[in-house]
Amino acid sequence: MQDQLAKRLVQSFKDAGVDFVTYLPETRLSQIIPLIRDDPDMELVAASSEQEAVTIAAGATLGGKQAAVYMENTGIFVSSYGLLTVGKQLGVPILLIIGFLGGVPDQRNSFLYATIGKHTIPVLQGMGIDYMQFDDTTNLEGRVKDAVRGANALRGPFALLFAGEFSE
Amino acid sequence: MIRHECLELLAARMTDQLVVTSQSGQRIEWAHLSKHEGNLLVGMMGCAVGVATGLALALPHRKVIALESDGSVLLSLFNLPTLGNLRPKNLVVYVFDNEVYSGSRISYPTATSGNTDLEAMAKGAGIVNAVTIRNVEQFKKDGLAALERSELSFIVCKVEESLLHREIPRPDTDLAENKYTFVRYLERTEEKRIPFIGRG
Repeated sequence: MQDQLAKRLVQSFKDAGVDFVTYLPETRLSQIIPLIRDDPDMELVAASSEQEAVTIAAGATLGGKQAAVYMENTGIFVSSYGLLTVGKQLGVPILLIIGFLGGVPDQRNSFLYATIGKHTIPVLQGMGIDYMQFDDTTNLEGRVKDAVRGANALRGPFALLFAGEFSE
Repeated sequence: MIRHECLELLAARMTDQLVVTSQSGQRIEWAHLSKHEGNLLVGMMGCAVGVATGLALALPHRKVIALESDGSVLLSLFNLPTLGNLRPKNLVVYVFDNEVYSGSRISYPTATSGNTDLEAMAKGAGIVNAVTIRNVEQFKKDGLAALERSELSFIVCKVEESLLHREIPRPDTDLAENKYTFVRYLERTEEKRIPFIGRG
């Protein structure tokens, strides 16, 4: 991802009200991490597992933060238990910022991630988690705001899947 | 020492602390002992410490308590290195370690009945103030003292298996009802709006 695009992406999260981000880094969007770390209006928390990242974000949401989790799409599988229990069952809004590896639009796709990519959206659908896919920057800021509003209205996780231009 | 004895002592000390429980008999016992609005009865194994950590980070001036079991902590060991590095000063984790999967109703042993030492694991992960408590007198002293300290504490309470919770009525509060009571309590006591609570 280009540095300018990373800045625009982080700004779109800020503009949507996100002020707390837990994460496990991955390759496609990792340029956002130092930008969030250096932003005085955002709190960045490193987790040891995506499952943990989801539960910490849920606690922060309940404590008044607008929390997000940044992870690779492999983390969806790791954190599915937390997403279903704390996210869906308890009903806690969490924005999921996901590097979508292995899907058709992933510009660095390879056999290493293709299976994960193929099953990502069906697994989200199976869990009843709403999602948006971003292959380019068309209306980026507006769609991110829509997603945060959607997570809050639906009281649950809402996934943003970044591929295409974001994976270059 | 049984878990209920410790929880009774803790309940008597509750004022404005926030308490997050995991799924085990302690959730039922705690709900019976404490009707405080600051209780979040998370009914899932392996999630309470994470949720409590998020609350502690979001509200650094509030004391947050996680009530955990050995089985639940073993399911979420990734919390230990995160806590060992974050070290939120306002978080206390109590692990009621009965060394069995009691909720399974066959009470087969957990790893802590063998060679696994949760205190040592916590210390190895960077949690300085980790301690194992083996009797009520020690709990009264070291266990309750953690409430007064401004330091992350990880208190492993070795307890005998007790089935007392099966004689206690289960909490009649729905998860969503408990969540809204909890966040409304936070809104009131923190004098701030929780963003996701709708204004209709």
